[in-house]
Amino acid sequence: MFRIRFHGRGGQGIKTASQILGSAFFRSGFEVQDAPRYGAERRGAPIFAYVRADRSPIHERGVILRPDLVVVADESLVPIPAAGVLQGVTSNTLLLVNSPQTPELWQQRLKLGAPVLCLPVESEGEDRAGLPHIGATCAGAAARLVGVVARESLVQAVEDELAKLGADELEFNLDHALAAFDAFSRHAGRVQEGAAIEAGGYARPEWIDLEPDAALFAAPDVEGAATSEGAKTGLWRTLRPVIDYERCNRCSWICSTLCPDGAIRVEADHTPRVDYDHCKGCMVCVAVCPPHAIAAVSEAGARAEESPA
Amino acid sequence: MTRQLLTGNGAAAWGARLARADYVPAFPITPQTEIIETLAEWIDRGEMAGRLTTLESEHSMITAAAAAAATGVRVFTATSSQGLLYGLEMIYTVAGWRVPFLLVNVSRGLATPITLEPDHTDVLAARDSGFLQVHCATCQEIVDTVLIAYRLAEDPRIRLPAIVNQDGFYLSFTREAVELPAPEAAQRFLPAFDPEAIRFRASRPLSQACAVLGASSYSYFRYETHLASLKALDVYDEIAEAFEQEFGRRWPPVEAYRCDDAEIVFFMIGAFATKAREAVDRLRDAGVAVGLVRPRLVRPWPAGELRRTLLRKRAVVVVDQNLSMGSGGVLHAELAATLYGQPGAPVLLSFVGALGGRDIPPEEFFEMARLAREAAEKGEAPAPRLLYTAQELREMRKLQAVAHAERKELP
Amino acid sequence: MSAETRFGRMKDLPSTHLLGTGTAMCAGCGGLEALHEIYDVLGARSVFVNAAGCMTLLSVYPFTPFRGSWLYTSMASAPAGAQGVRDALDLLLARGALPPEEDLQVVTLTGDGAAYGMGLSATSSAIERGLDFLYICYDNEGYGNTGQQTSAATPHGARTATAVGGHVGWKKDLFAIWCAHRPAYAATVIGAEPLDLARKIEKAMKLKGPRLILALAPCPTGWGYEPRDTVEVGRLAVKSGVFPLKEYEDGRVTHTKPPHPRAPVKDYLRLQGRFAHLFEPKRDEATIAEIQAAVDRYWEGAG
Repeated sequence: MFRIRFHGRGGQGIKTASQILGSAFFRSGFEVQDAPRYGAERRGAPIFAYVRADRSPIHERGVILRPDLVVVADESLVPIPAAGVLQGVTSNTLLLVNSPQTPELWQQRLKLGAPVLCLPVESEGEDRAGLPHIGATCAGAAARLVGVVARESLVQAVEDELAKLGADELEFNLDHALAAFDAFSRHAGRVQEGAAIEAGGYARPEWIDLEPDAALFAAPDVEGAATSEGAKTGLWRTLRPVIDYERCNRCSWICSTLCPDGAIRVEADHTPRVDYDHCKGCMVCVAVCPPHAIAAVSEAGARAEESPA
Repeated sequence: MTRQLLTGNGAAAWGARLARADYVPAFPITPQTEIIETLAEWIDRGEMAGRLTTLESEHSMITAAAAAAATGVRVFTATSSQGLLYGLEMIYTVAGWRVPFLLVNVSRGLATPITLEPDHTDVLAARDSGFLQVHCATCQEIVDTVLIAYRLAEDPRIRLPAIVNQDGFYLSFTREAVELPAPEAAQRFLPAFDPEAIRFRASRPLSQACAVLGASSYSYFRYETHLASLKALDVYDEIAEAFEQEFGRRWPPVEAYRCDDAEIVFFMIGAFATKAREAVDRLRDAGVAVGLVRPRLVRPWPAGELRRTLLRKRAVVVVDQNLSMGSGGVLHAELAATLYGQPGAPVLLSFVGALGGRDIPPEEFFEMARLAREAAEKGEAPAPRLLYTAQELREMRKLQAVAHAERKELP
Repeated sequence: MSAETRFGRMKDLPSTHLLGTGTAMCAGCGGLEALHEIYDVLGARSVFVNAAGCMTLLSVYPFTPFRGSWLYTSMASAPAGAQGVRDALDLLLARGALPPEEDLQVVTLTGDGAAYGMGLSATSSAIERGLDFLYICYDNEGYGNTGQQTSAATPHGARTATAVGGHVGWKKDLFAIWCAHRPAYAATVIGAEPLDLARKIEKAMKLKGPRLILALAPCPTGWGYEPRDTVEVGRLAVKSGVFPLKEYEDGRVTHTKPPHPRAPVKDYLRLQGRFAHLFEPKRDEATIAEIQAAVDRYWEGAG
C-alpha cells in the first residue's frame, strides 16, 4: 500500500492536492482513501491531508502514522512539532519539500536518513507558500514519485477535481500539475510501498487505569488569564509585517488598535512593536498605516535572514 | 414530627424548600407544573428565600440552571417528558461542566402520539448524559431523595447534576402521607452548598466548558465524568447511612424486598414497583418464593449490588415501563449486560408494560411469575412480551373504526 | 457625547490590549478586531457567556484569551446562560456571599447565526425579562464557522455556500427587533471605527438592563477578500451606508457617523468575492441597483 501525507497551511489547497492524487490513483485502477484532517485551524494554520492507495481493498483508516511519502507545501512547517510533518518519518520515507534550498541541506538539517527532494524553483522572489497552484503542483509531483500513475490519469484527475472552477483555473492548475509531474521523471517510482504492521512482536500499548480527578481538573476549565498566549499563532504567518521606524510617525494607535489579534503593542514612547509569536500575518497593519511605514515581507525569507545557518 | 398528605409534586417542592435552593429556573409542563407553582408561591410569600425565573424553554431553563450552579448557588429545577427532551442538548452538555444541581423529572410518555400519562422513556433518554439519576416509588421517597441527591451531587468527589425521577399522575398528582424532615435536621444533613473553586468572581478568572482539540483531551474529560458518576456508588452508601441516622429512614441504592429466599424476582423502577411489592405478598401467601428488586439509582448503575442480589436466583422478571424502539425494554438490556457471563445468572424475562400510564393489574404480575417459573424449569426465556390484552385491542379497533370511517377495509 | 467620554480622540484609545493573543480566529478576522477593541473598554471584570459560532474556539483547552471569565453554552441558549449567571451573582450579592468588588459584567457573545436565528427566542426573552447584560453579536452575515452558509443575516445578493447564485432574501433587521423590545441600549459598531465603538461600549457600561452591541464583522474567509482588506471593507460598509452606525436610547435612534456623501454600494460590493458574480462575467445592474435602492430608502427614512 502507498501511504502519502500532504502538509501545508489552511488556504494552500492541501485537501485538493490529496483529492487530485486520490483520483489519479483511482483512475489508475487503485483502491483509494483520501481525506483532509480539520481542526479549528484557519487560513494559514498548519493542516494536513492524506492518501492511501492499494491494489486490494483498503481496511486501514484514519491518520497515516507511517508515511511512505510526505509532501510539504510550505517548508516553514517542517521544524514546527505541532505541524507533525516529521511524524512517523523513517529512512524509508521520501520527503518532498517546496523549498528553494537544496535537498542536501534539508537532509543535513533533519538527520533522519530520509531521502529528500525539493520542488523546482520557478518563481523566485514570490511568496512560495502563497502560490495559488501549490496544491496541484504537489499532487503532480507526488503522482510521478509513486511511479504507478500515468500522465493521462493525472490529467483526468485534475479535471475530475477542478473542472468546477472553470476552464481558466483548470488549465492553470493542470499546467502546473503536469510541469511538476514531468520535472520528476528522473525520480519516478522513488516511493516504496510500506508494509503493514506485523502482529508478531508488536509494541504493547501502555494502557493505564484512569482515576477520578478533582472536578476542577476533570472539567475542561481554565483557571487563569490570557493563557492563549501560549499558542504561537505566529506559525500561521507566510508574510511578515515589518515596521520601518524611520517612517513610522508614532501615531500610537492605528496599527495597534486595528490589528485583529491585538498583536501590536505601543510602548510608552509611542513606538509600536509587533508580537511575532502571535501575529498571524493578515497584513491589516500594512494596509492601514497612513505613512506606509509597514512592509509585508516573505516570512521564509525573514526567517532565513534571522538564522542564516 | 407530623405526617401530612402531600402529592409527589408537593413533596418535590418541599424537598427544594428544605434543601434551601437559592435559584429556581422554571418552565411549565404537565404534570410537573404544580412544583414550580408551589415554589413560586412560597417565594412570593417570603416563606422560602431564593429566586424563581421563568425561562422561555426547557433548553434555556437547563442552561440557566447550570450557569447559576457554575456561579456558585444551589439550584433546583423541574420538567417532564417533551420538556426534558427539548432540553436534552443541555442535559448532555452541562453534565461535563461538573457543576451540581437538581432536576426533578416527572415522567410522562413521549410523543408520538402525545400523551399526558406516565412512562419512563423520557428520563431514560437522559441516562447516558452524566446526570446522576435516582428513581422514586413513593411521595415520602421524593422529599427524602431530593435531600439525598443534593448531598450526592454536591459531594466534592462527585460534582455532577442529578435527576430525581417520579412518575406523573401515580405520584405527581397522588397524595400520600409524608413525614417532612424538620428544617434544622435537613440543614444538618445538607449544609450550604460549597462551590469550591468552580464559580465566577472578579478576582479569579475562570473559563468554564472550553472546547478541546484532539481525541485524547476529549476522551479524558468524558471518561472523568463517567468515573465521577461511578464514584457516586460508594458515596451514595455513606450518604444513605447518614440520612438513616438523621431521619431513621433507609433508602438503599437498590431496594430488595423479600429477596433472600426468593427464586423468582420482579425487577422494576418507579411507582409501579409498589404494585409488584403487593403482588409479591399475595404470591408469598400462595406459597410462591417471589421477591422484588427495585434500583433507586439508575445512574450510576449499581451493577455490583444487582449481581449480589440477583445471581443464583432462578428467574428475573424485568418489567420495563419504557421502550427503546427496535430493541425493547431498556432495563432488560442493562440487566442482561450486568448478569451475562456471571456464575449463577438467572433466566431473564422481558415484559414491556404500563406505557403511557397503562395499569398493570395483579393478575398480570401473577401470570408473569408463573411464566418465570416455567422459564426457570426450561432454562430458557420466552420472547419479550408487551402487556396488552385482547380486550384492549378490541377497544382499539373500535377507535380505528371511527378514525377511518370512510374506509371500506379495516384490519 | 464628547463631554461624557474618556475617548475624546483616537489617541485616547487603549494601546495595550487586554484580550490575549493566540486565538484560533482567522487571520484578518473582523469579529476579533471588534471584540478586542470592545474588551479593552469593557475590562476583565466580566464573564462572557458564549454561544456556538466561530468564537466557540476562542477558548480551546488549555488556552483562553480572557483575563476575566467565560462560560461556553450552546448555540440557542447563551442568553439563558447569562440569565443564570446574573441571577446567581445577584443572589450572592444580596446575601453578602459575594463582595461587590467581586461582581462581574455579564456578557453574551454570539455570532449572527445564533443571534438572528436559533438564539433569537432566548434573546427576546432575556430582553423581555430585563436581564442586565451586554449582548455582543459579531455579525459576519452567514454561518461562518461551518463555511459561510446562508443565515438570517446574509445580505441580498451575497453568494454563500448554500446560495451559489446569490441570496434572494434580505438581511433581517436585528437592531430594529431589539429596539422593538425597548432595551436599555442598542448600538451598531464596527472594528474599523474604533473611536465610535469605544464610546458606545463606554456608554453601554454605564447603563443597566439589556444592551445590544451589534458588530458588523468583515470576514475574509466567508466574504472572499484578502485579510489585509478587513478595515477597508469595514470602512466602506459605513461610507456606503450599507451598515449604519447608530445607537438606540430612550426610544430614540441616533446615527453616530452618517456618511456624507454616501459612497456607491458597488464600491463596497466589488471588494468582496461573495458579490463578484454581480460584476463578472456580466454586470448584474438590476441587483446592484436593488441593493443601492434599499440603502437609499433606509437613509431617506433616517433623514
